[in-house]
Amino acid sequence: MRAGPKLFHLCVHFVRDLSCLIFGLSSSLRRMSIVQRMASNKASSAALTFELVAKCSTTRARASILTLPHGPVNLPIFMPVATQASLKGITPEQLEATGCRLCLNNTYHLGLKPGQEVLDAVGGAHKLQGWKHNLLTDSGGFQMVSLLKLAKVTEEGVRFLSPHDGSPMLLTPEHSMSLQNSIGSDIMMQLDDVLVTTHPDKARMREAMERSVRWLDRCIKAHKNPDRQNLFCIIQGGLDLEMRRECCREMVARDTPGIAIGGLSGGEAKDDFCNVVATCTELLPDLKPRYVMGIGYPEDLVVSVALGADMFDCVWPTRTARFGNAITKHGVLNMKKEQYAKDFGPIEDGCGCPCCRPIDQEGAIGVTRAFVHHNSAKETVAAHLLTIHNVWYQLHLMGGARDAIIADKFPAFVKEFFNNLYPDRKSYPSWAVNALKNVGIDLFES
Amino acid sequence: MSSDGHEPTAMTFELLKTAVKDGGARLGRLAFPGRRTVDTPNFFGLTSRGVIPHVTPDNVEKHLLTNGTYMALEDFIERPQQYMTRSPPVYETPSPNNKPLQSFTAMPSSIITVLGSRRLPAVAAPMGNTNQSISVFTSTGFQAITTKQYINAIQTLNPDIAIPLADLTHKTSAPTSKRALRMAERTDDWIKEWFMEMYGRNKEPSKIATFAPVLPISYSIQWEYLERLSEEHQSNPSVLSGLAVYDADLIPDISSSYQNLDTLPRLALTTPSNPHQVLRQLSLGMDIFLLPFLSTASDAGIALSFTFPPPSSESSELLPLGIDMSSPEHAISLQPLTESCTCYACTTHHRAFVQHLLCAREMLGWTLLQIHNHAVLASFFASIREALADGTFEEKARQFALRYEPEIPQGLGERPRARGYHFKSEGPGEQKRNRPAWSKFEDEKKIEDKVADLSIADEQNGTSGLGSGVDSVAETPLVPDENADAKDLEEMGFAEKAENK
Repeated sequence: MRAGPKLFHLCVHFVRDLSCLIFGLSSSLRRMSIVQRMASNKASSAALTFELVAKCSTTRARASILTLPHGPVNLPIFMPVATQASLKGITPEQLEATGCRLCLNNTYHLGLKPGQEVLDAVGGAHKLQGWKHNLLTDSGGFQMVSLLKLAKVTEEGVRFLSPHDGSPMLLTPEHSMSLQNSIGSDIMMQLDDVLVTTHPDKARMREAMERSVRWLDRCIKAHKNPDRQNLFCIIQGGLDLEMRRECCREMVARDTPGIAIGGLSGGEAKDDFCNVVATCTELLPDLKPRYVMGIGYPEDLVVSVALGADMFDCVWPTRTARFGNAITKHGVLNMKKEQYAKDFGPIEDGCGCPCCRPIDQEGAIGVTRAFVHHNSAKETVAAHLLTIHNVWYQLHLMGGARDAIIADKFPAFVKEFFNNLYPDRKSYPSWAVNALKNVGIDLFES
Repeated sequence: MSSDGHEPTAMTFELLKTAVKDGGARLGRLAFPGRRTVDTPNFFGLTSRGVIPHVTPDNVEKHLLTNGTYMALEDFIERPQQYMTRSPPVYETPSPNNKPLQSFTAMPSSIITVLGSRRLPAVAAPMGNTNQSISVFTSTGFQAITTKQYINAIQTLNPDIAIPLADLTHKTSAPTSKRALRMAERTDDWIKEWFMEMYGRNKEPSKIATFAPVLPISYSIQWEYLERLSEEHQSNPSVLSGLAVYDADLIPDISSSYQNLDTLPRLALTTPSNPHQVLRQLSLGMDIFLLPFLSTASDAGIALSFTFPPPSSESSELLPLGIDMSSPEHAISLQPLTESCTCYACTTHHRAFVQHLLCAREMLGWTLLQIHNHAVLASFFASIREALADGTFEEKARQFALRYEPEIPQGLGERPRARGYHFKSEGPGEQKRNRPAWSKFEDEKKIEDKVADLSIADEQNGTSGLGSGVDSVAETPLVPDENADAKDLEEMGFAEKAENK
């Protein structure tokens, strides 16, 4: 396994060369078409504009502005997950106050509750939840496969038994598009054939990858509102880098307004995760947003940004808030521990979120660790306060990365981030050290 | 929310308009320096463990339309089993403006804080009180708190208003006359100690406003105690700023017997269960109410819908006091929760959203209902004050009684999870308060694995409770409704029926 990073390094070089050969022609064609429409750092499609603001001179990190139907968002970005059209107890107004301008809803959940008929009658999910900013929806396929025991994927779609009467049902790419059109999300995701990356059957993995490409074509065909909703493709292919490359080529050729890297965060080794992300970003066009699905731990976000990814989502920050956990730059702190019972400091020193900011500042709540401890697992308000803090932390982390990229100080930002998280350098995770080394950051060099 | 810098001085209460007869509804104004002024009759928010349930302190300030909150000392003094010797953290809260209770709970400084011993309503203690102590119910069980400890706690926490200990049974049945007599005697002893410790000679008099309890026993049994209150107040008005009344029917007697007590604000600890009872008690001369039915209604998915006076109508049919927002009839309604309500929930959201949140058991549903229900009460009291000012109160109160149903509807929506400190189990055979969590399509092991993946950090910290693994998966129901058959799912547009292959 130790040969992994070295092999990866070789691969990167090989791909660089190969991609010049293979993609030289197609990318220059693509560039030309973009140039015709836009200046060279900007690309537009029917419902989205992507503007590359800065690139890190060392790593592949990028800072950009993604303008969506409900306003611009700065990339890199973390997107909190409001599964059922609500971010776990906090109001849309409070979510807005954390700086969030793009959050997720889950198609699967909204399809069950309140259902398509209600969404159509109400006029979409923005209107349902009173959210003035952007929404992204997944396709519903992931939850279906990962949570329904009896789901089975066929070429037509995802088959499952109705939980009530046991009659067979089918969820197709067309259904997913129709639901997401009713939801009215600014970014919608194709239905893909999701396998855990560690799936042992290579043939099944290839089938899933190829099927995801075919399903993208069906999704594009079924998508009713391309002028006001953006459909992103999802790159599959498990941990097989060659299969990922092949998928990248097929997906890029279909020219969706944005591109997601899917199937990760399912328990694969972190080294493998980094290899897949690096392999894909290498092949993706500069002027499109790149979204790594299901990523949320701060280390994963920072490393993925260095590898050239722009967008991330995860339920972890808000879920862990409900367990009494606060995310801080020095790691995750469990507020239920006795050591915080008489800790009258803010949740995180120096944090600017409404819970932590100094009490004399506008909008400050004046929450102490002791108060969160007092009500953790007892009153929902404690969870709401930690949710506000954790979402702020994640958004602010990406904002800090963005500022550093623009100032071309991103490597220093990454080093400081790891230094805060691990007081002892010896405990730096090797996967992060290796992945960053491959893009030019040596965490051990001061 | 910043501290006001200077030490608050005394409370003032001004009676603007009173009835001619003894007792009777009245208009007043209660003011503390640096806090919102409270026009009375009015109500204060009721907290659980220092928070208005489901409402974060920033939303309390921005959206809740309440000028004061009631807190219970028993919510702050539990002794965790592993840390039995630890002193309650709340006592050590640093507070720049010397308001530790307010600082600990992050309650906005514009809001008046009232501190009493027990939650409202309180759980009856099996062992009762002694001559020097009462039993309280904390999240880790019952414990005794002595009169001395209570006075120390009040002095340390420095609320704006404090309610001295009363010897109460907290049972629904009336106490025997022997017990009632002891209640009066003990409460009398305790108030003597209170006055001595708080305002006694050789002591710097406390700036905390004392609202002395008036017991839920007949006037003839507690007259000696009330006599003492009157005399103490006569000789030094600053020792007694108000009355905490457990039975509104005593007001006429007090009013006619002690003129000096009549000018004090009256805080209702009577737990009325609907607005009809509020109006009745208000007519007897109650000034400030604490209303457990507010949170109860929100938890039950009820949006309160009454106004004062009631809307005029030809129909003789009774109007409901609240609307069950979990009902599917609101699924596509873009109406506000109630017509013409100007609260945050009604101006930024609609019934369809609240209905969805309640059905999906999303916590925001209860938050929005709390904001709305507090706003309904705020506007109810504002209209009552107007009617008192222009002399139309009695007529409008009569209309209200005729127009509305007697009780707030029950609500069919699922409640938030109940916690141990909310109630005391009444022995075996009692129904479960919380519905078991979902666990249908996967065996437990698999769910646990999944949660372990998603929350490695949580596992490392060995957390449990609010977010124990299986719970958190079930928290967001992930499988279709158990009653939804294939046809329903198809109609929802979720998926289509397939041929069995």
